[in-house]
Amino acid sequence: MSFTSVRSIMGVLPFAAAMLAAVTGAHAQQGAAIRISVKGRHFQPAELQAPANQPLAITVRNLDTTPMEFESVSLRVEKMVTAGAEGVVHVRPLAPGRYEFFDDFHQETRGILVVQ
Amino acid sequence: MPVFRVIHNLPHGLLISLGATAIFLSTAAGAKAQDDSAFHEIETKYIFGNFTVGSSTGIEGEKAFEPETEADFGKRGGSYGAGQTALELEYTPNQYVQFEFGPTVSYFDIHNVPGLDDRNMGTINGFEGDFRSVLIDRGPSPIAVTASIEPEFHSRDETSGGKVVNYGLENRLEADTELIKNRLFLGFNLLYEPETTRADLGTWDKESTFGVSSALAFQIIPKVVVGADLWYLRHYDGVTFNAFTGDAVYLGPTFYWQVASKVLMSAAWEYQIAGHEVGVMPATLDLTDFSRERARLLLEFEF
Repeated sequence: MSFTSVRSIMGVLPFAAAMLAAVTGAHAQQGAAIRISVKGRHFQPAELQAPANQPLAITVRNLDTTPMEFESVSLRVEKMVTAGAEGVVHVRPLAPGRYEFFDDFHQETRGILVVQ
Repeated sequence: MPVFRVIHNLPHGLLISLGATAIFLSTAAGAKAQDDSAFHEIETKYIFGNFTVGSSTGIEGEKAFEPETEADFGKRGGSYGAGQTALELEYTPNQYVQFEFGPTVSYFDIHNVPGLDDRNMGTINGFEGDFRSVLIDRGPSPIAVTASIEPEFHSRDETSGGKVVNYGLENRLEADTELIKNRLFLGFNLLYEPETTRADLGTWDKESTFGVSSALAFQIIPKVVVGADLWYLRHYDGVTFNAFTGDAVYLGPTFYWQVASKVLMSAAWEYQIAGHEVGVMPATLDLTDFSRERARLLLEFEF
């Protein structure tokens, strides 16, 4: 391998280290607890409130008789929850704003997380 | 080069494609008046057709299989077609980074192209990986930016199909912003790709490509996005912009379709509409370092 190739690889190392830190540290923080449930293919409540700039732990309880998958593009999370069970999704600290979430198995089932 | 000459030289297929794209995009002005409740957030990574890549890094825990094919057509004379399919697995371990890796398969259909051997073959041709990390999150910033590093190894030259040992490192900054919420998106990429290649003679030849792109994407109906992509690419001998050999401007339409909740497709077809090759007169295109046309088709199956 040439000197230039080695230099190229060395250039990647800080980036790789930063990504490794992100991978290993993502769940190190505990989040503010938020609860939501699904019943009759509706989120209850359909609008959640959350504090800005701190990690969140959203507990999703499925009260329906079929599985659901809590998912959000902007929150970058998904969690499959079987009928009658509950699951927890951990969300990174968020800037103030409105973040959509939905049930990926029944996409008409939607809600909003309001972060402020 | 005068603009009218560039337009005159455009292939008819490109003109039709761009015309259709312009009609689609022109409807964006009235998009706010439509019922926006049917349009929801979409991931931007593939909405620009995948020559320009959006900033989204996926959903935590998501795993997907992604066959992605890039094809190049047209050189200076003869008949030229070369394609490469990357059979990649994509994994998003958390809300900040995303990994892809997998083998590549190449195929070549080359006849009577000056400077290239005739070849009609397909072969396994190495491995690619991709490591992506969020740099700037959308939120307080209207623009989201992701850094991408893509190491590559190939045992066949991507242009000629000849046996080589080739290492490349494609580095990108991938940025995008929403011009109209959930409807109209603007993307930018910055590319730097150094490569080193050893052919039959045993010496290592180094080269690099620098590029910038801009792309518009409009969600015309829910889960279907159309757009246009513009790239400017410069090729050099040497990895640090040592000797300029040519440049090219690509323009073409893009298409994205979220087929089902776990399946999507992304496609682009681009034409070299302007370019310059050092030492070639008249130099209206660079058909040594780049192809006359290029296309990409990506399918994603989440599991």
